[in-house]
Amino acid sequence: MITGTLTLFQWSLRTDVRSIWPHIVRAGFAAFMLFSIFAAYADVFGTMGPGLRFFQSICFLNVVLISVSGISYFVSAVTEEKESGNLALLRLAGVTPLAIVLGKSTSRLVSSLMLLMIQLPFTFLAITLGGVTWQQIISSYLALAAWMVFVANLALFSSVRCNSPGRAAGLAGAILVLFFTVQPIIVNGLAAIPAGWLPPSVVTFLNSVVNLQVKMSVMDSLARILTVSGAGQGLLSFQFWLNILAGIVLFSVSVMMFDYWSRPSQTSDFGTSATARRFTVGRCWRLPLMWKEFLFFTGGRLFFIVKFLAYGATVGVFMYLQNASQPWSGYWLTGDYAWACFLTLAAALTLETLMYSSGAIFTEIRQSTLASLAMLPLGTSRILLEKVLACVVAALPVVIWLMVVYLSASESIDRHCSATMVVSCLIVLLLSSHLTVLLSLYTRWAALPLALLLTFASFMCCPMLILASFSLTDVIARSHNWQISLLLGSLLNLVWTWLFVLLPIEIEIVKRWDRLSQES
Amino acid sequence: MSTSVGNPVNRETVPAISVSDLSHSFKGHQALSQVSFCVMPQTLHGFVGPNGAGKTTTLKVICTLLKPSWGEVSVFGSSVRNDAVNVRRRIGFMPDHFSMYRQMTVFEYLDFFAAAYGLPVAQRDQVIHDVLTLTDMEGRKDDLISGLSRGMQQRVSLARVLVHDPDLLLLDEPASGLDPRARIELMEILRELRRMGKTIFISSHILSELAELCDSVTIIDRGQIRFSGPMDALLDNSQDHPTYNLRLAEASEDIISLIKGLPEVAQVEEPEFTTGKDFVVQLKPDTSANQFLASMLTLNLPIVSFSQQRRHLNQAFMDLTTRGVRT
Repeated sequence: MITGTLTLFQWSLRTDVRSIWPHIVRAGFAAFMLFSIFAAYADVFGTMGPGLRFFQSICFLNVVLISVSGISYFVSAVTEEKESGNLALLRLAGVTPLAIVLGKSTSRLVSSLMLLMIQLPFTFLAITLGGVTWQQIISSYLALAAWMVFVANLALFSSVRCNSPGRAAGLAGAILVLFFTVQPIIVNGLAAIPAGWLPPSVVTFLNSVVNLQVKMSVMDSLARILTVSGAGQGLLSFQFWLNILAGIVLFSVSVMMFDYWSRPSQTSDFGTSATARRFTVGRCWRLPLMWKEFLFFTGGRLFFIVKFLAYGATVGVFMYLQNASQPWSGYWLTGDYAWACFLTLAAALTLETLMYSSGAIFTEIRQSTLASLAMLPLGTSRILLEKVLACVVAALPVVIWLMVVYLSASESIDRHCSATMVVSCLIVLLLSSHLTVLLSLYTRWAALPLALLLTFASFMCCPMLILASFSLTDVIARSHNWQISLLLGSLLNLVWTWLFVLLPIEIEIVKRWDRLSQES
Repeated sequence: MSTSVGNPVNRETVPAISVSDLSHSFKGHQALSQVSFCVMPQTLHGFVGPNGAGKTTTLKVICTLLKPSWGEVSVFGSSVRNDAVNVRRRIGFMPDHFSMYRQMTVFEYLDFFAAAYGLPVAQRDQVIHDVLTLTDMEGRKDDLISGLSRGMQQRVSLARVLVHDPDLLLLDEPASGLDPRARIELMEILRELRRMGKTIFISSHILSELAELCDSVTIIDRGQIRFSGPMDALLDNSQDHPTYNLRLAEASEDIISLIKGLPEVAQVEEPEFTTGKDFVVQLKPDTSANQFLASMLTLNLPIVSFSQQRRHLNQAFMDLTTRGVRT
């Protein structure tokens, strides 16, 4: 077992070291980390306990990076072997599931730890700045280490459970999102529901879920540790033990279920019913690429309708919560509930767009279908355009509900967000989805997180340009007494973004696509 | 196959593939050097060569995936450089690796490609039915591709390249990784396709099957053509000394000297590992088999079989290609 584990560990590490892209991705992560640390450093001057505040920033940055790397990096540990068809060969060679899981994940753990090492000098700087004790630092790092164990094993579990990195990332991401949102959902839900509506046993159970989440959450744990009074707490928090325990459970389940979950699938998601599948999937459209992507994104028209209804149900939940708290308001959706509903749908739209853009082209590379597509009597631009159209159609349910919510509660929503903010968000979404598509043509696993980091970094200068464009069009519109300054500003912003930012990325995507088609 | 795509004019006279002075290099490496050959329509043409000889590069140029650095390549008279879209409509390319959407069913996969080639829905049903019948996959059309065996996936791949009824099929290692039964069945399908009038250009390492299957062959080594022409011309050994295999029902000890004594015979050998009744007879130049048989009959020997000995494709391949891996 040890030989197998060591061989796999050594091989993974060697592959990782020899390939140029993991180094570039790590450099990107490191640059982002340093950028954020410097930003936090500049922010703490003139405050009470600057060292503590600075170290808080470092810790919360670590939570984000560990969570992102967990979803993007660890999920490919086993799925990449499944995709390359090496898993059966490894099992034939007598390598046990334990050795495979251990060997493939340890190299990733080492890489991730290396990434965290670059911040050590800044930790010493935090101590020099004052306000934070050694005990708090060690306790925080132990909490983070436990969180890393939990996230890595969650990703590993997803990697063993699913057949592709995309699905594994989806599963791990969904569990993490659920983990962080379960507390506010239950607490707000219980507050909104009339007393006595739910049986006491259910309320007790939901409260215990919230308590468990709070105890397991690294954010809550760090918040407790990194307070002025947190210096007196013990080194190992309850969160540490719970995270480690959860990590061990997930690891054990992954090892035990390894063979069962690694069997090639023999049937479709629809079981053996060809009729059900035919009805759900339907015939190929006149735009075949668009149909194919739509099928891969949504699972077919039936799931598309289900998704539409699910978003409708989400809006319905917000309407119900508002009606429960303000029974005779006279509106279906208004005030904070309308804003929260709008935000939820906007977040869903963002998530969907990024998922589609990360998978749209990468699927072709993974399944080696670039040459087959390039042989079709369709140009590269037409192929890529159909893929974009598929993204738009797949995202229609959430877009429709977003518009419905906005039109029915525009006053409440306008109070929270301006046109400038909407345009900024749209530009950021376009930029990040473009970057995700481009990076998915270069790197196997890190397209989405790297694109998000690049978008975040570029977002530091984008709003200034957007505001300047709006001011310019406002001045021009006023001087000519036009009433369309907002429209002009939005147009100008979209035009310059497309011309100077998105178009070069699009050209590079087409070039890279053509190059990969030739090489495939 | 009820569909008809492409221009049938001059199909018989214009070569299906014409490669002239084709050279291609990438990253300073000369992959192809002045490659020239021709494939006639409605023939099955083998394309063989050692690993790294330039087979896949040539195939990629023919199927418009790569633009040639130098030279001219045309498919049914259309240049791959200037008329790529028309060329793509007339060819079906099956790459050497499995490139399929494994989460689709067989029917969905074929429907997708048929639609991508612009076939209307009504015609698609008929075409899919036809290609599935031809590849004997009709019963598995609702199965997920991921659940099919390698041989079946290869059949689906072949069905995919047939959906738009191309005139020319370019198959890169279609039999690699298949078990003997799947391989034999695949070869049967290829024979059937040739009978249907398709031109098939097949790159393969399985020489024995190519020798049986192909009408013509091109051998490439280190980016250069070593031989291109009819299979018979490559395998025929009869230019200088016609050689024949002779089998007798029974043979005496002095049989070799008896045959050697005939005026038409240059040499007689007994092959290794035989029972003493088989002989390899080399005739003198300008001597016909009829003359030799006439003389044999005078000896009153019990002849069981008499056939011309042909070189094996393996032997021809070894003679024409260079030992070692290209660097």
